[in-house]
Amino acid sequence: MSKKLNRRDFIKSTTAVTAGVATISSGITLTTFAAEDSPVTNEKRWGMLIDTNKLTESNIDDMVNVCQEENGWGSETHSTGAQKPDWIKKVKVRDKTTGKIDMLPMMCQHCEQPPCVDVCPTNASMKREDGVVLVDKHLCIGCRYCMMACPYGSRSFVHEDLSNQKEHMPRGKGTVESCTLCVHRVDKGGIPACAEAVSSDGVIFGDLYDANSKINQTLKKIQSTQIRADLNLNTGIRYSGI
Amino acid sequence: MKRLLIVFLALTVTSVFAYGVDKHINLGDRATELKNEGKSRGIHPSLSEIRKMHPEFLLHKRDKTVHQGIRTRRNSLKECVDCHSTTKNDEYVPINAPEQFCSTCHQKVGTSLDCFSCHRTTPKEDL
Ligand code: HEC
Ligand code: HEC
Ligand code: HEC
Repeated sequence: MSKKLNRRDFIKSTTAVTAGVATISSGITLTTFAAEDSPVTNEKRWGMLIDTNKLTESNIDDMVNVCQEENGWGSETHSTGAQKPDWIKKVKVRDKTTGKIDMLPMMCQHCEQPPCVDVCPTNASMKREDGVVLVDKHLCIGCRYCMMACPYGSRSFVHEDLSNQKEHMPRGKGTVESCTLCVHRVDKGGIPACAEAVSSDGVIFGDLYDANSKINQTLKKIQSTQIRADLNLNTGIRYSGI
Repeated sequence: MKRLLIVFLALTVTSVFAYGVDKHINLGDRATELKNEGKSRGIHPSLSEIRKMHPEFLLHKRDKTVHQGIRTRRNSLKECVDCHSTTKNDEYVPINAPEQFCSTCHQKVGTSLDCFSCHRTTPKEDL
């Protein structure tokens, strides 16, 4: 009963407690950063650089085919030509004067200022923190304003009942869809299927903000452009060679 | 009077049996296996909670995945389908088909889901 807590003991015991708290909290931070369950942040911005000089026509066809295979679109039987989905397509650009033909793969350009997001009445059209533009199909009512607003014609609408979808890519009648930059792969450290399909440097995928990334360094070196740069949408997909 | 009592008893007895039969909904192949091995505790900590709260869990997870890119397995719809599906003649039965896991209770309470117009109704691509 006579034991009194002097100043020293008090400090000792409080430091022990503080140290305990510190270990616990660092344990928590460690787990939140180590697990794949941390939300995406705006410290990254995913983008892609497409060098048309390095892409052959069959490269572009491959990109379209692997996208169909990966995401399970393209075998719709009841949709007419214009109704068929087009997550990525081959576009031919012809210079009227010289007749020079350029071929390029065209998909959602993942704008920083996406017009499709501006016009959506339900917030289904959305941009993730890391710059990926998506349709939250749970909120999509199929009004298709976004399809009209998109300068690139990159979105399509599902016109028929579907079955046997890919497990990682639910799709269904009455909603709009487009290139997701394969977020289901990217979130797990992978790269989009179309980028993987091209073995040359024709397509470079990466974090535009990261000064050490190949895409960032290449963009600093070479001449590149955004399609319809005049619209100031600051697209995540960049092109060179056109 | 006696006859009436027998009829009454017979009725109660059959209805008790009927209840006993459909109380055990078709859990699906893997879930049944896990349950028999006594490993179901770690999956759903409380049965009454998952029975009541699964719509909320699913919607919460849905938003986390679509908006924040969080792709853990917990409460993921893919995982429910993986674990709660049944096979018949070496083929998976769609999980929302009559008498399958995601439909029995819903039929009873008159709920219909639209989830499976987009989400795959069987595990992965092939068996
Ligand atoms: C119009 C199509 C559509 C409908 C209908 C739909 N979903 Fe989804 N769902 C998607 C898409 C697309 C994703 C995103 C997949 C991804 O990015 O991996 C998704 C993802 C999810 C996820 C996260 C991924 C996973 O497998 O866990 C959950 C949970 C989910 N949906 C639950 C539901 C529920 C519950 C319903 C029904 C109430 C539903 N969804 C209806 C299209 C749909
Ligand atoms: C790894 C396997 C597994 C996964 C994944 C899983 N479950 Fe289960 N679930 C079980 C098992 C095993 C039981 C039986 C538990 C028991 O009876 O003790 C069960 C029971 C249930 C029950 C209660 C059934 C009853 O008896 O009334 C519901 C509801 C349920 N699960 C819903 C879900 C939902 C929704 C998901 C997806 C978010 C899911 N489960 C994912 C294994 C799983
Ligand atoms: C033990 C019975 C039971 C099982 C098994 C069950 N559910 Fe349910 N579920 C219910 C009940 C009851 C409701 C209605 C809840 C309400 O109306 O509040 C419901 C509602 C839902 C809803 C919300 C529907 C809406 O329109 O609001 C979703 C989504 C859902 N269930 C998904 C699933 C999925 C996916 C499975 C299969 C993995 C499943 N449920 C299996 C009992 C069950």
